Amino acid sequence: MSFTQQKEDKEIEEALVRDLQAGDLDAYDKIATLYQKKIYALSFNLMRNQMDAQDVTQEVLLTLFRKINTFQGKSAFSSWVYRITLNASYMKLRSKKKEPNVSIDELLPSFNGAGFQQEKIQDWSGSTESLLFTNETREVIKKAVDLLPEKEKVVFLLRDVECLSTEKVSEILDLTVPAVKSRLHRARLFLRKKLSGYFEEYNSQKGEA
Amino acid sequence: MICCKECIDLLYDYFEGSLDQDTTKSLEEHFEDCPPCIAFLNTYKSTTLLCRDTLNQIEIPDEVRHTLQSFLKEHKKEQEKK
Repeated sequence: MSFTQQKEDKEIEEALVRDLQAGDLDAYDKIATLYQKKIYALSFNLMRNQMDAQDVTQEVLLTLFRKINTFQGKSAFSSWVYRITLNASYMKLRSKKKEPNVSIDELLPSFNGAGFQQEKIQDWSGSTESLLFTNETREVIKKAVDLLPEKEKVVFLLRDVECLSTEKVSEILDLTVPAVKSRLHRARLFLRKKLSGYFEEYNSQKGEA
Repeated sequence: MICCKECIDLLYDYFEGSLDQDTTKSLEEHFEDCPPCIAFLNTYKSTTLLCRDTLNQIEIPDEVRHTLQSFLKEHKKEQEKK
């Protein structure tokens, strides 16, 4: 998206927010249309459940309407929407039974005293193309992401999946930029390790066949 | 000469293209002598892309879309009455 396009989008959005604050219901419709997919996708990726994501989306849309006058424009409107979505998703998740988290540290790379990698690293990056669109691969990827601890998962979803900038993610989560980077790096290392197990096994089976 | 551990710590910034020239150079020198770290770099990149491709295609299912639409319509009606 070009810079001018972004600027225009921002102006349109700000105008819609002002209209909604003045009680314009059509502006509300437009905002709901603009945001419902983003709200649904983020909450679905956090909860992996259609009914829950639907509930959260409804709740967030309602909150946007009810609380629009508390939005002061200190951060971007979209950051505000993402924050409300995260809060609503976490509330929902907490009301359900929680699965124990895996420790991320166990899955980070290990080194010997001289700083060399200790495990054997296979390069499976060339063999993912044919596998990407199989349902099995997609399930493996989703499960790996589901296993990420909450702190790392949210950074990963906002930055790598929603493709928001590091600065934007730090605004939404109220974290420093270095903290966002460090969590994202840990998330990627964790996921790389998880996916490695799957793709290496696939490659070795292919080798045998 | 940097070691594998430093190399992996730098991957994030290397991938973002935000390393200074000197660090990039020493990192690339390390890659030349270290196939495991190249494998690591490639799979690190692939992981990010694969996860993105899988998770960012989430669409609102039709039935959810309908529910949301009628929810919003209902809400609008209520507000108009006020």
